[in-house]
Amino acid sequence: MRLSTNIAHLVTQRRALVWTAVGLLSVACIYVLVTRMRLDTEVLNLLPKGFPSVEGLKVYNQDFTQVRALTFALVCQPDDVDKLEEFAPTFAQRLREQPWCARVLAGSPMETPEGLRDLQAIALPLLLNLDPRQFEETLATLQPAGIQARLHRLHEEIEAGSPRPQLELGLDPLGLVGPALKPFATNSAVEEDQPLTSPDRTMRVFLTVTNQPSIGAFDCQKLMREVKAFQKQASAGWEGGPLQVLVTGRSVYVAEISLSMRHDIIVTVLGSILLVSGVFYIGFHRWLPLLGMGCTLLLCCLVALAAGLLIFRELNMVTVGFCAILIGLGVDFAILIFGRYQQARDEGSNHAAAVTESVSNLGRAIFFGALTTAVGFMALMLAGSGGFTQLGVLIAVGIMFAGIFMMTVFFLFLPPNSPPSRSDWMFSLVKHYVRWMVANPARMLWISTPILLVLTVIAVSPKPPVIFDVSTHSMEPKRSDAGYALNTIMAKMPARWEPVIGIVQAADAQQLHDRWQTVDAHWSELQREGKIKGYSTPAALALSPARLQTNRERLRALDFPTVRAALKSSIAAEGFSANTFTSAFGLLDQMQAAAQSRAPLPDWRTQLPAKSSWWFLVDRYFAHDPLLTTGFVTTNEPLTTQAQKQMLAREMPVPGVPMTISGWSFTLTDLVPWSRHQLIVISALMAIFDATLLAILYRDWRLWLIQIATLAMAIGGMIASMKLLHIPLNLLNVLAFRLVLAIGVDYGIYVLLVWQKARQLDHDVAGVVKPVILAGLTAICGFGSLGAANNPTLAGLGYACAIGLFWSLTATIFFTLPAAAAAEPKSWREESLQPRIQEPKHV
Amino acid sequence: MFETLSSRCNRRQSRLATTSSASIISGTIALFLFAPSLLHAEPLVAADQKSLLSRIRDKRAAAPQVQANFQEEKNIHLLNKPISSSGKVWFQAPNKFRREVGGNSPSITISDGQQLWIYYPKFQSAEHYSLGKRSPLDAGIAALTAGLNLENVESTYHISASKAEKGYELELTPRAPSLKRFLQRFTIYLSDDLEVQRTDMLQPNGDRIVTVYSGETRAPINPNTFEFTPPAGTTITTPLGR
Repeated sequence: MRLSTNIAHLVTQRRALVWTAVGLLSVACIYVLVTRMRLDTEVLNLLPKGFPSVEGLKVYNQDFTQVRALTFALVCQPDDVDKLEEFAPTFAQRLREQPWCARVLAGSPMETPEGLRDLQAIALPLLLNLDPRQFEETLATLQPAGIQARLHRLHEEIEAGSPRPQLELGLDPLGLVGPALKPFATNSAVEEDQPLTSPDRTMRVFLTVTNQPSIGAFDCQKLMREVKAFQKQASAGWEGGPLQVLVTGRSVYVAEISLSMRHDIIVTVLGSILLVSGVFYIGFHRWLPLLGMGCTLLLCCLVALAAGLLIFRELNMVTVGFCAILIGLGVDFAILIFGRYQQARDEGSNHAAAVTESVSNLGRAIFFGALTTAVGFMALMLAGSGGFTQLGVLIAVGIMFAGIFMMTVFFLFLPPNSPPSRSDWMFSLVKHYVRWMVANPARMLWISTPILLVLTVIAVSPKPPVIFDVSTHSMEPKRSDAGYALNTIMAKMPARWEPVIGIVQAADAQQLHDRWQTVDAHWSELQREGKIKGYSTPAALALSPARLQTNRERLRALDFPTVRAALKSSIAAEGFSANTFTSAFGLLDQMQAAAQSRAPLPDWRTQLPAKSSWWFLVDRYFAHDPLLTTGFVTTNEPLTTQAQKQMLAREMPVPGVPMTISGWSFTLTDLVPWSRHQLIVISALMAIFDATLLAILYRDWRLWLIQIATLAMAIGGMIASMKLLHIPLNLLNVLAFRLVLAIGVDYGIYVLLVWQKARQLDHDVAGVVKPVILAGLTAICGFGSLGAANNPTLAGLGYACAIGLFWSLTATIFFTLPAAAAAEPKSWREESLQPRIQEPKHV
Repeated sequence: MFETLSSRCNRRQSRLATTSSASIISGTIALFLFAPSLLHAEPLVAADQKSLLSRIRDKRAAAPQVQANFQEEKNIHLLNKPISSSGKVWFQAPNKFRREVGGNSPSITISDGQQLWIYYPKFQSAEHYSLGKRSPLDAGIAALTAGLNLENVESTYHISASKAEKGYELELTPRAPSLKRFLQRFTIYLSDDLEVQRTDMLQPNGDRIVTVYSGETRAPINPNTFEFTPPAGTTITTPLGR
């Protein structure tokens, strides 16, 4: 018994058994979904693995406190700049009072008494961390004569009107904090490196760190609900014109993206179902098969999702697009099968015979169609991206099940005694086209071939160029408040660009110190040579246990009573206020305690208050693990080219110091070759696979050549359209090319396989061309509905695929078919045009 | 004479906190001696104030440069005693100035509007500051030159003008919070022919600087006056960084 007969027997005679199997499968899948559903919202998991820059970015995003940072901005009208300056402290205070706010930076810590006091608190370990020679020189200033000379000098400078003595005595009355902080000084220019006020003074920026327990989607959503409530009442008391309270940061993005996932699921799935249903109904005027198709596709989605969860344990947000794509693809099979089934019923076959005929005629085509599509999506695994690997596997699993279910489960929904079809204008139109095209293939080819060739020429021509967008903006969600806030801040701030980061990890504190000393010296040399604009490192804060020990030994030789006496007498002699030097005597006490005790010095992190603004600086460099650190290099120009990236990759590392170079701009530039590799090499491999498969399938070099030319021109049309419509390629939608190859080849397979076996062209070929058109339109709608997604990667992929499939379908109908007709002998064609049986009356 | 008065007045301020009888006595004397000018100052109505500012503006517009001798007394919280100094100041609208201080601690302060140099001949050292970065230094310079640069003074300060027995008093309180952090009140005493005679600057931390001007002239000033090239061997520092 043939497979098609078996299937027909099963779905017509053993319906209860099949329904039971479907029910059990559905329950099992739902159980897996309910018990194991975990979503991965990490956008970085969309980037390929194996790139150190990507891994570095993940480390930086996961292990450094900055992931919990929120940046607020107040933006006022130009007339209200003074009011904004007055309102800023009120806003900062309100921020500090929020239960979710751990600390706030509203200005340079150096401008506040607390900032100066905090800095003095960590002066001792920094002082002891000085190079022994520098430490010796610094201690020399504590000689009585040195103290006297310094205070006299400061007095004279005050008399001369210099602002410097006031600054110096406020921070460093003893003259030791300055030298201790000298290595730190390049890092401490917070006000200059991160200006918190825009040059036109219409914007003030406030940096905050939140106390959210994790950066997971739900914690970010909870935090953002509180932040939004704060935003609404934060401008209370503002008396000027319109005041924008903006907020951005990783938590804002995560909350927005995770919430937009829900939006994307609803919009893309509903949109896809609506469009596909519309196309199906227009094509067949039936509701029950439509319901059957929907239920069968839902079953495919359930099975694929359950399989995905079992395989990967959690699913990336990009797999949200999976359902829409699977519906767009799986519906092809349903339309083809039902089209053939309906045609058989219209020709007088009963239900079981119609099932047998449809499976028998299209089973092979659907199997190969599902295979090529599945392989095309499985090829996403070659991208090395966790998210896209999942997407590829889920769709491959789903499409194979779609092929199986559409040839079995789908028939359960078809009524055995359905009324005959009404007049089918679409089939009539297609039949007329096929009849005319078979009679005049050259005319059609003279119209379609030049158009497709011109598009192909445009595609391969260097002008207009393909727009390749590798900016971070290309990854940003559409309609994003966080993105708007970030863009506003970037637009109002002086021209600055994101630095490149160098991540260094060490086994112990001494190794960390030694490594950063080496790196600091090397980067300083790079700056002197003009290869980089600037840099900052945690070298000053990476303390050396060996140095601390050496310098403490030296400290024991200091005569503290003499130093105190000299300081007191000098203060009196120069007429300084005693209050000014309170912290100086405090530091002397600390130094004496450190000299006399053998116990280890307390960790400087414990000396810095939790709410200190200096943590903003410290957290830039140190991860939660203090041995995991990062330095920053500012390039001379924004990082956009391979040459810049290669220079940095070559120059930044230091022999003997393992370093991961990363940063968003660096990583995206690093990924450009990968992306082009995806576009060219892997698409070419896919094309070779398709070409080999087609050669085996057709065993006719003319049909094979026609199909290859169709694919080439469809891809040409796709590239040309994207060029002319200024649709950019980004790092992720380049994957669309292989998808279009995988899906587009199916249309040719359906048409040419039927063409090869056709006994009555206008009946057989028109019978498959109509479903192919409907299938193509539904696939275009399915992918096009992704364009409504807020996630730009999904939307970009959807647009690119929809355009590619449009050209695949167009090329199949207007090139493949007439070309096949032109390639076959005329006599056979004329003979085949004679009707084999009487046409149904309704056609 | 003024130095004595001012000194006593300032002492009164600083020592009232300690409630020493000596400071109360000296303060009382200072108040007594200073009282006539206060008693005779009558606030100007808005129209008169506007007219006065217009006259000042016209005078500055006719001759945008000025030079004068000065004597200054500073009471700052870092020191127990006030500091006195004297020298000469040159000013060219809108923002160039030069200030030379003589005595035991000589210094030259020069600004061309973008850069500020403070040179100490005795130490052969110089401090270099960049202006225009909205730092506290800018506010300080604005306050320092406010007495000489009354251009657009209404936009920067709230002004209260009054007619004294001889001349006028302008009391300036800053509008911008950045300036408020540095300056609480600035009082300018003008003669009848609108020459600056004295300024009194009070800072939020209690520091006070009283400057008396004399010998004001509006002759043209050589542009080189506002340029500074550190002499060879000078040690240059940038206390506020880049």
